[in-house]
Amino acid sequence: MGRVIGKPTPLIDAVQKVTGKAMYTDDFKFPNMVYVGLHRSPHAHAKIMSIDTSVAAAHPGIKAVITGKDIPIAFGVLPISPDETAMAVDKVRYVGEIVAAVAGETPEAARAGADLIRVSYKPIKNFITPDESLVECSEDEKIHQHTKNSKNIHKIADLSFNDPKDGIASSSFTRSVDFKFAGVTHAFTEPHSTIAVWNGDESLLVITATQVPHYLHRTLSKVLDIPLHKIQVKKPALGGGFGGKSDPFPHEMIASKLAILTNRPVKCTLTREEVFLTNHGRHPTEMTMSVGCDVAGKITALDTDIVIDGGAYGSFGVVTSYYNGVLLQGPYKIDRFGFITRRVYTNKPQSGAMRGHGAVNPRYAVEVVLDMLAHDVGMDPCDFRQQNFLSENTKTVGELRITSNGIRECLETVRRKSGWDDRYGKLPNGHGLGVACGFFISGSALPIIWNRYPQTVVHAKLDFDGRIVMFSGASDIGQGSDTMLVQIAAEELGISMSRVQVEVADTKLTPVDLGSYSSRVTFMVGNAAKQAVDKIRHQIAASVGNEKSVPREAIQFADERVFTDDGKLNLTWDEAVDIAMAGRGAFVESGFYISPKLGGKFKGSGAGLSPAYSFGAFIAEVKVDPMTGQVSVIKVWSAHDCGKALNPLSVEGQIEGSIHMGLGQVVSEDMRYHNGRLLNANFWDYRIPMTLDTPEMDVTIIESNDGEGPYGAKEAGEGPIHPVLPAIGNAIYDAVGIRMTELPITPDKVLTELRKGGQQ
Amino acid sequence: MQKVKLHINGFTRTLLVNAHETLLDTLRERLNLTGTKRGCDQGSCGSCTVLLDGTPVLSCITPTIRCDGRKILTIEGIGVNGHLHPVQERLASDGGLQCGFCTPGVVMTAVPFLQENPDATDDDIKEALSGNLCRCTGYKKIIEAVRHAAEDLRHG
Amino acid sequence: MSTSSYFLPGTIDEAVSLAKAHPNDHVFYAGGTDIQLHVKQRLIKPNTIIDLTAIESLKSVSIQKKNMKLGTMVTLDQIVKNPDIQKFYPILAEAAKSIATPVIRKSATLGGNLKVSNRCSFYNQSFDWRQSVGSCLKDTGDICQVTGGLNHCYSRNVSDLVPALIALNARIMVQTSTGINEMPLIDLYVPDGLIVHTPLGVGGIITEIFTSDEPSKWWFKKLRLRKSLDFTSLTVAATVNKKDVLRVCVNGVSMAPVLVETGINDVTLEGLILQVKRACKTVDNDYMPLKYRREMISAFITDCWNTFH
Ligand SMILES: Cc1cc2nc3c(=O)[nH]c(=O)nc-3n(C[C@H](O)[C@H](O)[C@H](O)COP(=O)(O)OP(=O)(O)OC[C@H]3O[C@@H](n4cnc5c(N)ncnc54)[C@H](O)[C@@H]3O)c2cc1C
Ligand code: SF4
Ligand code: FES
Ligand code: FES
Repeated sequence: MGRVIGKPTPLIDAVQKVTGKAMYTDDFKFPNMVYVGLHRSPHAHAKIMSIDTSVAAAHPGIKAVITGKDIPIAFGVLPISPDETAMAVDKVRYVGEIVAAVAGETPEAARAGADLIRVSYKPIKNFITPDESLVECSEDEKIHQHTKNSKNIHKIADLSFNDPKDGIASSSFTRSVDFKFAGVTHAFTEPHSTIAVWNGDESLLVITATQVPHYLHRTLSKVLDIPLHKIQVKKPALGGGFGGKSDPFPHEMIASKLAILTNRPVKCTLTREEVFLTNHGRHPTEMTMSVGCDVAGKITALDTDIVIDGGAYGSFGVVTSYYNGVLLQGPYKIDRFGFITRRVYTNKPQSGAMRGHGAVNPRYAVEVVLDMLAHDVGMDPCDFRQQNFLSENTKTVGELRITSNGIRECLETVRRKSGWDDRYGKLPNGHGLGVACGFFISGSALPIIWNRYPQTVVHAKLDFDGRIVMFSGASDIGQGSDTMLVQIAAEELGISMSRVQVEVADTKLTPVDLGSYSSRVTFMVGNAAKQAVDKIRHQIAASVGNEKSVPREAIQFADERVFTDDGKLNLTWDEAVDIAMAGRGAFVESGFYISPKLGGKFKGSGAGLSPAYSFGAFIAEVKVDPMTGQVSVIKVWSAHDCGKALNPLSVEGQIEGSIHMGLGQVVSEDMRYHNGRLLNANFWDYRIPMTLDTPEMDVTIIESNDGEGPYGAKEAGEGPIHPVLPAIGNAIYDAVGIRMTELPITPDKVLTELRKGGQQ
Repeated sequence: MQKVKLHINGFTRTLLVNAHETLLDTLRERLNLTGTKRGCDQGSCGSCTVLLDGTPVLSCITPTIRCDGRKILTIEGIGVNGHLHPVQERLASDGGLQCGFCTPGVVMTAVPFLQENPDATDDDIKEALSGNLCRCTGYKKIIEAVRHAAEDLRHG
Repeated sequence: MSTSSYFLPGTIDEAVSLAKAHPNDHVFYAGGTDIQLHVKQRLIKPNTIIDLTAIESLKSVSIQKKNMKLGTMVTLDQIVKNPDIQKFYPILAEAAKSIATPVIRKSATLGGNLKVSNRCSFYNQSFDWRQSVGSCLKDTGDICQVTGGLNHCYSRNVSDLVPALIALNARIMVQTSTGINEMPLIDLYVPDGLIVHTPLGVGGIITEIFTSDEPSKWWFKKLRLRKSLDFTSLTVAATVNKKDVLRVCVNGVSMAPVLVETGINDVTLEGLILQVKRACKTVDNDYMPLKYRREMISAFITDCWNTFH
């Protein structure tokens, strides 16, 4: 093992991408194609009284106009909360919600047509902040009628083990701190885009920028009332997702509907502003985090009360609600543990899943509070954390099964590399270090839509030409899952990567994969892929063994040869393939992954279950300008336990990208609203760090070799973001003695805290 | 409408454009040169960068009408005789891209930059790419790749 | 469909007469980086575009000893990289480098920066956005979204070069259909968010900017969250010349740049801050909060003062 696996490997589509040849959705054109123009709501919350589409319909070049009533069936990525329709039906719930759509001969005609739609509204009371949504209101003011309370609470998730409140009350040291987090969004560089084609046999082809072709496939079937077997969803090259392309989206349904109505190919590409309005980003959050410890610095109890702002619709919100709490069960051992999360609806673009789903904000809170406790106890924050870690092969209080666990090595690594012991607490005023740890799932063990199918199936095909084609529904969104499929096949069969090709993310050709979310792809698809190619190897070994009369167990695969160690058998790959083809020709083998049965028997026990967990530690070095309050992050050290780095180049890339995204959330990014209108739906004022704002990064991969992951691999796409934010927060404390409890930590807030004088 | 002659990637095209059509629209929608990407269409992400008479410009805020008689080089025209330019080669081999959507813009910014600054330091490279938004890589491997490309170019 | 016409004059005279022929609907197109932002958000739709790129005489750079003369079609990139500017007028190079991004600076010009449009969080928004709030005075509406007032617009002048140039006591040459005028740069600005620039006369083009006031000390700082791309939240440029004249120019916090000019020994720090703050009409229409920007005016001036003393 280890010819391909574990080696830094350029992405298989890298050359396509550096030459501009890679085809993203908007790059495709179909003959006779028409374009979509969307008419959006100017109101945050209003009843639709009437819609006049006649002028738009009569406008030159307009081929069709549709409104909410044309696609009235509700959907939601989670089958438990189908609260959304492709376009608003009776009322609008946020500024920017789609009310009507047109298909036009040109993008300009479509835009003009959409502008000509006239809608009259009757405004309803707006609920912009969570506070407003937590107050009783009348039934007809409620954002959604289906909520079973007289407020706008979408979901309450809570769990409690061993009376945490009492645990905190009886602890020697306790801290209970309020935190507030602005909403942030994925801001992938490729805007959402979809092309829908209605074929002569009444089947629908949808080429779209999605992380979840399978869920889109199901949703289109439901809302358009077309049989599943008549829908083909294809994901071409995709320009970043981070969770922002992991829901089925209205524009995908609208383009499809218009394709059917006009009987012409339809393209819908959103503007950057529309991408911001589509959002589904991280929930704005408010929480009180309470943790207690004993005099020796042992954590005794944790309890937290969280409100997350879901915006107008459900999306992944029920899962987010649980993740906010349950993922606090690691990497520290906490026996008395509890949380309550309330997800509220507000009249804003909806929140959803974003890198580090649900666990990023509470991670900030808990790591800052632990830092405070370490100071209260008089311990070094690294030592404090070190003595509280969960061990390997254990269970958390909520029965999450912990297997491989490299957290100790992670922390020791960043501690050593950053010179922590010589520098923490000793740097000059304005200059500081901070530490934090993180913990995340490596794939959700439970599928969103309950069924008895595997979570993924991979087909591997061997053909007479000696090529292997891997068929997988997995969605490469830039993270490199296609490359992983090729690596695994090359590794198992001892052939060069150039012999392996992929056919991916196409619901007609590829077996179901649930999608690229919850950091599940490497673990699940990797295992399935390995199983499929192993079967191919066994088939070849069987055929060759038979024909050449050598025991099949003795047959080896390496360097494009099929041989035995004793030299009796020594075939080229092509010769072996030729033998394997005899009497049957090309064949396909299948591999699959189903996670083991996990978890407790209590209600809510399914949340956060994963076949493995990743761990990480992070140290940040910052400087704070006392005049402006501006925070500069100058250097960071990250160590992440991904089990085994199948492709170190990609793992490092995921860690570095996570650092960048975490940095943005902690110092500069926020979704700002003015009476429910997004104020900064552009790249000038939604401030993502650019090259000069991004610190020097020292990245270490820690390999704990998970027993169940493919070659020992776990995840690296999301886990590394968690400790980034609190480490920076804690470094600010070391630098200037203030505790920042509101994100983003903009200079004005720093200055306000500095004025109050370092407290705590 | 006005007639313009564009010398794109060594080939001359003549088309009619109105005063507001942007070069990005011309390239992508009319000439099918879709390698140039539209990330924001507002001059704030760098993904649409192309060279106009050798100078990088943001094609989303460049009216095509201004390009009459001028030389345009897009990502499709970078690299010679089927060989990648060292910047492309290094971005590909050194992990300088993930989703790849920002990549054409990075290439079109870095190539002329290295031509003018063959001895660029990491800080110079960071400065030069400070208008190229990348949401995937955290920039580290992009900067390294461009530095390596500079070394490759120097050592021929 | 658009019926706009596009002209590419080869001389200033030609450009001026084109402008004279289209008195109400022309726009001079320099780098176009500011114009395009406004076109994209449907804030303007210029009908007659007079592209200045072919006018070679607007591209001259002449720095003889301390006399600097710059044509208005000189790009910001050229200003950043010009060794003489770096040597004699480093404040200008620094100011230019603080603008937008390196690629934009290769298109963006000095002239365009002198006349960059005023900005406001409630105005520089898409058409749909503005419609949804009911628009404002600067657009098609009849109320200011920031103050609720019916008369005054407080959109901010956001040029970063202008404060540096005003601190350098720069003057501009303007050519119109009736002749060539010279005026102090500061006089180009009107503290009214609706008017913004002094009308230059029929067909008026700014052709050149010049100064000979080489400073003995200078100070420049731009308040922003990121080190590139961001428009300013506050820009302060200051110089002291050989005659001990202190010139502090503050921009980004009012409708026009604010200049305080005084003998360096004739004013106290507190007095200086007070004068600036009195002249600034700062309202809550920027990404950074109002209170903070006000505080930063004092902080920047204090820092500048301490550097000079
Ligand atoms: C992402 C981004 C970030 C930016 N950041 C900044 C920033 O930080 N600071 C900043 O100041 N600007 C910024 N800008 C705005 C703009 O790029 C600059 O102000 C630039 O200098 C404008 O120059 P231009 O040549 O492109 O002007 P143009 O857009 O061509 O013109 C601007 C105005 O000036 C007029 N004009 C131009 N030349 C003349 C002349 N000779 N005589 C009379 N009128 C003339 C035009 O008619 C027009 O009204 C940014 C723009 C973008 C896209
Ligand atoms: S200050 Fe008031 S009137 Fe002026 S642009 Fe802003 S909102 Fe409009
Ligand atoms: S698309 Fe041109 S800068 Fe973003
Ligand atoms: S590689 Fe995805 S945006 Fe740069």
